[in-house]
Amino acid sequence: MKRFGWRWFVVNSMVVSVLVATSAANAETRPQYGGVLHVAMHASPTSLDPADRAQPESFARHSLTMLMFDTLVTVDENGHVQPSLATSWQALAGGQRGQLRIRRGVKFNDGTPLTPEIAASSLRAANPSWNVAADADSVVIDISDQNLLEQLALPRNAIAKRTADNRPIGTGPFHIVDWQPGKKLALAAEDNCWRGRPFLDAVEIEMGRGFREQMTALQLGKADLVEVAPEQTHRVSLDGRRLVSSNPIELWALVFTRAVASADEKLLRDALASSVERGSMRSVLLQGAGQPTASLLPNWMSGYGFVFPADADLTRARHAREQVRTIPTWTVGYDGTDLLARVLVERIALNAKDAGLWLQPTSTTKADLRLVRIPLVSSDPWIALAGVATLAGISAVKNPGGSVEDLYASENALLAMQRVIPLLHLPVSYASSPTLKNWGLRPDGSWALADAWLGIDKP
Amino acid sequence: MTFRRKLLAVFALTVFLSVGAVAWLVLALTRNAFEKTEDQRTAALVAQFQREFDRRGEEVAKRVAAIAASDSVSRMATALNGTTTESAEYFELAKSMAETYQLEFLEFLDEHGTIISSAQWPAKFGYPEAAFEGLSAASDQSAFLEREELQDSTGLGLLAVRETRISEHPVYVIGGRRLDKNFLSALDLPADMRVLLYQNRSDHFSSDALLDPSGNGPDPARPANKLAPLIDEVRQHNQEMTASVSWSSDQGDDELFHAIPLRGAGKDRPLLGILLVGNSRRSYVELKRRITGSALLVGGGGTILAILLSSWAAARVTRPVEQLARAAEDVAAGHWDARVEVSGSDEVAQLGISFNRMTAELLAQRERLVQTERVAAWRELARRLAHELKNPLFPLQLTVENLIRARTQIPDQFDEVFRESSSTLLAELSNLKTIISRFSEFSKMPHPQLQTVQVNEILRGVVKLVDAQLHAPGREPIACRLELDERLPEIAADPDLLHRALSNLVLNAMDAMPNAGALTLRTRREDGKIVIEVADTGSGLTPEECARIFTPYYTSKQHGTGLGLAIVQSVVTDHGGRISVRSEPGRGTTFVIELPDNRGAMQKGPAEQSTGGNVGQIHG
Repeated sequence: MKRFGWRWFVVNSMVVSVLVATSAANAETRPQYGGVLHVAMHASPTSLDPADRAQPESFARHSLTMLMFDTLVTVDENGHVQPSLATSWQALAGGQRGQLRIRRGVKFNDGTPLTPEIAASSLRAANPSWNVAADADSVVIDISDQNLLEQLALPRNAIAKRTADNRPIGTGPFHIVDWQPGKKLALAAEDNCWRGRPFLDAVEIEMGRGFREQMTALQLGKADLVEVAPEQTHRVSLDGRRLVSSNPIELWALVFTRAVASADEKLLRDALASSVERGSMRSVLLQGAGQPTASLLPNWMSGYGFVFPADADLTRARHAREQVRTIPTWTVGYDGTDLLARVLVERIALNAKDAGLWLQPTSTTKADLRLVRIPLVSSDPWIALAGVATLAGISAVKNPGGSVEDLYASENALLAMQRVIPLLHLPVSYASSPTLKNWGLRPDGSWALADAWLGIDKP
Repeated sequence: MTFRRKLLAVFALTVFLSVGAVAWLVLALTRNAFEKTEDQRTAALVAQFQREFDRRGEEVAKRVAAIAASDSVSRMATALNGTTTESAEYFELAKSMAETYQLEFLEFLDEHGTIISSAQWPAKFGYPEAAFEGLSAASDQSAFLEREELQDSTGLGLLAVRETRISEHPVYVIGGRRLDKNFLSALDLPADMRVLLYQNRSDHFSSDALLDPSGNGPDPARPANKLAPLIDEVRQHNQEMTASVSWSSDQGDDELFHAIPLRGAGKDRPLLGILLVGNSRRSYVELKRRITGSALLVGGGGTILAILLSSWAAARVTRPVEQLARAAEDVAAGHWDARVEVSGSDEVAQLGISFNRMTAELLAQRERLVQTERVAAWRELARRLAHELKNPLFPLQLTVENLIRARTQIPDQFDEVFRESSSTLLAELSNLKTIISRFSEFSKMPHPQLQTVQVNEILRGVVKLVDAQLHAPGREPIACRLELDERLPEIAADPDLLHRALSNLVLNAMDAMPNAGALTLRTRREDGKIVIEVADTGSGLTPEECARIFTPYYTSKQHGTGLGLAIVQSVVTDHGGRISVRSEPGRGTTFVIELPDNRGAMQKGPAEQSTGGNVGQIHG
């Protein structure tokens, strides 16, 4: 009896333990409704209108847009176009026109049904040069761009209905509850979202927070999702935080404010490009984050990025510099609030000095060249290249949508203008609390929070 | 200059010079005192700077030593172990530790001098430290001054070097604090003093390299380039210098700068900076101004007071002397009865008493002399009268005796004798009468009746009068020449008396030329006087004759009375003039009459017109 009792006790204990463990595991992996997600971000957008071109392009803005708005189509992680507010599409008039059929039953956050007219109006507002028309249950876009669908997947082309006071309303999983431009945004779950109600009840976003401040908020449990500075990603990963990074979708580059004016200046710009030690910038200043590059598009996007040598060539730089008699002092501008940018510019100035060039770092807006961060707004290389060219002040890329050889030729032509000296391609990184489940990043770097939920944190 | 004015000038000058000398002395003493004080204050400030330098140096050395001994640096030295593969991980270590230990400069170097991490210039990682050899040699030494190259400038730092050696591959820790405005602000500066620091970055002066803790930027009123000469001097000679710097036209803004070179460590001890200790000259200049102003005020007031007092004192001293001078002038003018008032018993009073006694004695002697001269004159007059009267009396006596003898001895011829004798008697009586009339005339010389006359006209009248006698038959001809200045002004004179005097001279000249000759009459204006010359070419006079020729009754002629020239002299003297004679035997004689241009006398009263006696006493 004694012996049996002991065995019975052991077996029952094991069964109970297994049941408890299984239950706990199910509770951890099963989505839960409710909870408020706290997010902190560095950017301080003052407008939530996706079509507002006065706002600078940033991944944070993309993320906010995609919480409240939907695009007609989306691009998945493999680069394939997927239906969204448009259920199907076809090319008309020999590829000169695109017709997209609008999903039925979709309503805006104010209850207004989505119609082709509203969709067409929204697209016209975002792209004044486009010829967009509503046609029964579809919109017809009169454009010969081979990347029309990829462009329609951009956040700026999200469909928005504008109220009488020009306030945009979307069809996204969240709607605005409180909006303090540049400071705070409170969103609530949209119960009647055409994609279904999100698990989160609300999302509160604090804006204008520094990276250190965000990380402190995460550590103190005051934020669930924060941005991570590139140079901090290594340390954050070492600390055991959950870190999510995108592909390298941000180009850090030196951009000259004006075109090359003389042969001497061309030589000097070549000398500067050859003098920069991108490798040490990555390994030390960025603590291993990102990829040194001499191309505009990252290798994962173009496939030929390695062709452009990114290593410093001081001999070439000095040779080019020695062919010029008078060496001007160029001022290099950077964002005065960005400490990393300052150190990067100082490093570039040191490298340039080794080549006999004189660079004067300045945080003022007026400079001969600037260190800028250019977000690659799309995983489509042509659109990304056009975006870089636009931000660099260069005319639009010719013959978009061609072959890889055409893409290489276009990028090479842009680089030959010597307006841009590519430095690094960097990913965007976020750290999240352990309670935030099932979230991720879209290929464009924006948050995918529609299916995210908040679990119970382990002690 | 009068004695009183001289006395005043001496008194005023004495007071002024005394005050000036005192002021100069005070200024010199003040300047010396200020210079001494400035030297003391500068020395105190330099000592304070040195103490602060040492204190901060010790502090820096301790902090750097603490960093070198810290776990973080030890871990880094262990991890690196002579390699650089893992150095990226420590890129920000210098910055964070510099913040923790409150250092402005902090660098970690590997054994080859390559920068692992830099707080002051983070971007410089991987670059070699230029001064590594000198710095590594200074490991474990006290803090030293060093020039630190920064991104956009260079700065002076108080650095210390320590070594962290875990294995055979050391890591060098170089840290320090900046020698900047904050460092200078920590100095306790006395009033009117300031301290500047020049960072010797290049071979040429740069105003950007000058640190002024008291200012918030360049002061347009005190441009830094005015310090350039002093700084260049210090750099050239590498030793302490002193110079005064003028910031404006106001001397009160001037500053006296002591420049002290600050050298770095090592064998060469390079000149890294120059400490400039400025002493404002305002207090000294203001005190100098007050002293100068007071000296001028006291000097001016003292001089005025001295003038007043010396005027009073000089008046007291000089008044008796002036009285004596006036009395002496009166005596000289013939007023021998002049007296001075005597008060007191000092030397001047004694002089007054003596003067009074002298004039009394002179007056008594003059009285006696007058009496004597009067007696002598009477005797001379008697002698002359006797002589003059004796000549005609003797023929009268002989004629009367001849009449008496003819009455008794030859009565028949008595009538004829009587007739002849009567004519003789009448002739001699006439002669006596003439003599008496001349004497009478001399005694009756009238006072001149002044009226406006032209001297040249009077001379022409005289020549016209004697012209007939000049060419009288039986007489050797005398040439008469007139050399008259036609620009002569009219004068106030008695034309009759002047005509008579000039006639006498012309007649005398004619008498002096019995064997022909030349008579020259000249007039001219000389020194405000009218000069008349009557010259002959006669036999001339001896010096003895010249000396006595104007004495009454003296004559060189055989039948002269000796009164002619006396009358001439009397007339000239009565007109306020003077007469003189120059002659040379055998070559003629020239009489010179000088008459004053006394037309003003015409407006005066009759009493004043007849002041010739007084004038005559001066010149006669």
